Amino acid sequence: MFQKPSTTALNCLSDSTRISRRSLLKAQSKAALVFAAASSGLFRVSPLLADQSFPDGPDLSIARGGPGPATRAAVEALGGMTAFVRPGQRVVIKPNMSFAHPPERATNTHPDVVRELAVMCTEAGAARVRILDHPLQSAEMCLVQSGIQQACAGLPDVSVHTMSAARFFREVVIPQGEQLRQTQVMEDVLAADVLIAAPVAKSHSATGVSLAMKGMLGLILDRGILHRRFDLHTAIVDLTTLLMPDLTVVDATRVLSTNGPFGPGKVLQEDTVIASRDVVAADAMTVRMFEWYGRRIAPRQVRHILLAHDRGLGTMDLSGLQVAETTA
Amino acid sequence: MIRFQRIVQALSLSAFLLLLGVAFFPVPGWAPVDAFLRLDPLVMLGTILADRSWITAMIPAAIILALTAVLGRFFCGYLCPMGTTLDITDRLVRIPSPAVASTRLRSASGEQSSTPDDSEQERLLPPPTHPPSGLRQIKYLALFFILGAAVLGVSAVFLAAPLSLITRFYSLLIHPAAALAGDSVLHFLRPLALHLDWTQLAYAEIHLPRFTTQWFLLIFFLAVFALVRWSPRFWCRYCCPSGALLALVGRRPLFRRHVSKACTGCGACQHRCPMAAIPANPLQTAHEECIVCQKCVRICPVRAVSFQPLVQPGTMPVRFSPNRRATLLAGLAGAGTATLTYTGLLEVRGEMLPGNITPEELIRPPGSLPERQFLARCIRCGLCMRSCPTNTLQPIWFQAGVIAMFSPQLTPRRGPCEPECTVCGQVCPTGAIRFLPHSEKIWAKVGTATIHRHRCLAWEWNKKCLVCDEVCPYDAIDLQRVTTHNQPVPFVDGNKCSGCGFCEYHCPARPGSAIVVNSTEALRISDGSYKELGQSMGLSLQLSPGEYPVYGPQNQHLWEPLPDDSVSRDNDNVRDNVPNGLPNGASGTDTPPPGFTP
Repeated sequence: MFQKPSTTALNCLSDSTRISRRSLLKAQSKAALVFAAASSGLFRVSPLLADQSFPDGPDLSIARGGPGPATRAAVEALGGMTAFVRPGQRVVIKPNMSFAHPPERATNTHPDVVRELAVMCTEAGAARVRILDHPLQSAEMCLVQSGIQQACAGLPDVSVHTMSAARFFREVVIPQGEQLRQTQVMEDVLAADVLIAAPVAKSHSATGVSLAMKGMLGLILDRGILHRRFDLHTAIVDLTTLLMPDLTVVDATRVLSTNGPFGPGKVLQEDTVIASRDVVAADAMTVRMFEWYGRRIAPRQVRHILLAHDRGLGTMDLSGLQVAETTA
Repeated sequence: MIRFQRIVQALSLSAFLLLLGVAFFPVPGWAPVDAFLRLDPLVMLGTILADRSWITAMIPAAIILALTAVLGRFFCGYLCPMGTTLDITDRLVRIPSPAVASTRLRSASGEQSSTPDDSEQERLLPPPTHPPSGLRQIKYLALFFILGAAVLGVSAVFLAAPLSLITRFYSLLIHPAAALAGDSVLHFLRPLALHLDWTQLAYAEIHLPRFTTQWFLLIFFLAVFALVRWSPRFWCRYCCPSGALLALVGRRPLFRRHVSKACTGCGACQHRCPMAAIPANPLQTAHEECIVCQKCVRICPVRAVSFQPLVQPGTMPVRFSPNRRATLLAGLAGAGTATLTYTGLLEVRGEMLPGNITPEELIRPPGSLPERQFLARCIRCGLCMRSCPTNTLQPIWFQAGVIAMFSPQLTPRRGPCEPECTVCGQVCPTGAIRFLPHSEKIWAKVGTATIHRHRCLAWEWNKKCLVCDEVCPYDAIDLQRVTTHNQPVPFVDGNKCSGCGFCEYHCPARPGSAIVVNSTEALRISDGSYKELGQSMGLSLQLSPGEYPVYGPQNQHLWEPLPDDSVSRDNDNVRDNVPNGLPNGASGTDTPPPGFTP
């Protein structure tokens, strides 16, 4: 499921290219700040990187725009959904829909992000797409209030389900688990060909942020034991070795910057979607890009990102990434 | 031919079960799920007496009483789900006696079977004793016992009111078993459903409630059902206090049994009356016992029996007067029981005074009246427990005294009280739990959570666990840094805590929760606004800030690598190049936000 991102492409770029790109970016960002202040958020940065052609394709893409279009643009930049889903495959999408909250609270993945992903999967020929979570509040209310059920209603071969009954889960061993050595996972996830993580970007009181890796707790039956018996961050990484997403799409259209995961907290309207094959890189980029509790946080300050990087599950070394940026 | 009575009974029981079926969050507005409970005359009289207040919701029972004066005990014969259930179980439980076996043998050999309705072939009942027999007194004694207690403000309605009993039976005993069976079927069908791509079926989950007190209920009802060995509808004949109340009202109904001169005195009706309402002289009728089932009409070989709205001089009702002394004693026993309640140590007093013992885990549903009033009104029907979406409402045993038995309490470890849900008040037939609009419900504080630090993973074990904070809908968990711990630890803000118990339910500490809700500072008011009261007390019970301020994009600059994005961890000094001028979380000069490491 996992593919180590290529860093060789980095070497192809000369230093001068990088410096000029960076100085250009700086000038742009200053202009952007001024402009943003004047136009209060209407401003959009146009794609300006002259040359975004990456020989091996980008490691990570950042798209700006509305939830649906930005999602599509971010995945297209990685080569489109056909790069991840082949005809006839079974796909599981794991969004955040654990809370009975409307999208504006930024505790659940935006329904349009989920819908767009599901549509792209079916366009790529997926036999069926299951959107699954194990909610913390009443399942029905989560499905309704998150808006995800309605957004995906009527899509052919797509269905949205919450599961909490033990009979939907199956015990599996985690061979690479350091502490979490076995757990019960949703049968549909084990049977799926493709796993797509689609978390919302939000802060988390115990784990700093709750993104793609932390979100995988929503696919297992007993998450309490991760808190009780193990080191939570280590256990999250253990779980990631088992449930490694083939594609990670972080919904940062709204970012719950403080008081996550339940909120209510400070919601930043960022209109950004981040996508990558590398779950660690996607999480790291999300941490790095946005404000958390009014500060800038480095990815290594999120312990499970650091551990995942150290265990070779992906990279949090963002300076080595090929990043494609687009505006939808 | 299917009899009219059976049709009405079937419709009535179906309606009862249908209403019970939809009595689950969210209860549809069109469904009067407590309708049958509000037909029970004892529920009405006992509750109104015990609470000393008029309860408008009980008017249907008053109508039943009024109609009984005209039609007799039709309620028992046609509408009562308990009576219908007993008619069903009577058929199942009854073991054929030699009399029936010989009758069947005879009809099988074609010798003779001359009753007009062959389906009425049943055991010949022993000749009824002339009412009132000693056993028949029981129901009157039960009635006066309950009324005696009610006069002193203690409700014992739950002990014997048939609608309370039968609702409890189906809600707490039958429904969980049926749900379990349904879930097994779903599990069994799942491979097929997946194969056929019936996703709704494949992923369907049935709510599986579990309850306390089930063994008691089971034994009680098995006993009631087994009494058919002595007589059909034993409960209705001898025990049911609501039936006794209807009997008192229906002693001389306008619409009554009439026997014409054609009667040959064969005694067939006498032997087959399920209520033994026909005395030795079959021309007579004990109207207070008659449930108007009209079996006597159907089985009379000479068609001498009819029900008519006439008073025939020859059929004066059998005079019945409940034995005065026994009645008085029963009432006194009820009053005595009420007194015992008041002198019992476990009775919960509303005032939090020294010397008053309140079980701290006794958390009442949101909107419950003040305790004394609550118990006076609660008839322990179990409808709130049936409709509760999280199964948090459980019947209690004796922890609040015998008289509080089967009353509902929140059990947060089993399930939290869903803030969006108001069904317990919506379905409560007597208003023991107030039906609150959502805006009021979220202010109806049921208790307060307390952290047991010695069990807490964060406090005691220094683990990264703040699940209580993650799940609290009211944002009542404060994370604070203390000098003894290297990460934030939880504190409860009592003014923000509604006692909903999401924290206790989700707390990963096992087996006991490290954060426990008890009834501390629960708001219990019989009228007025919880919100106003709460606000005046300085509470701040909010599910959300009401509006969601949107902060503009903080990140309109493009992504740019910074020196510290490389994984070397020793370059904390390279901090000047910070976009947006945000302070850097890794600067080491201050503590990082919750969950992050320096």
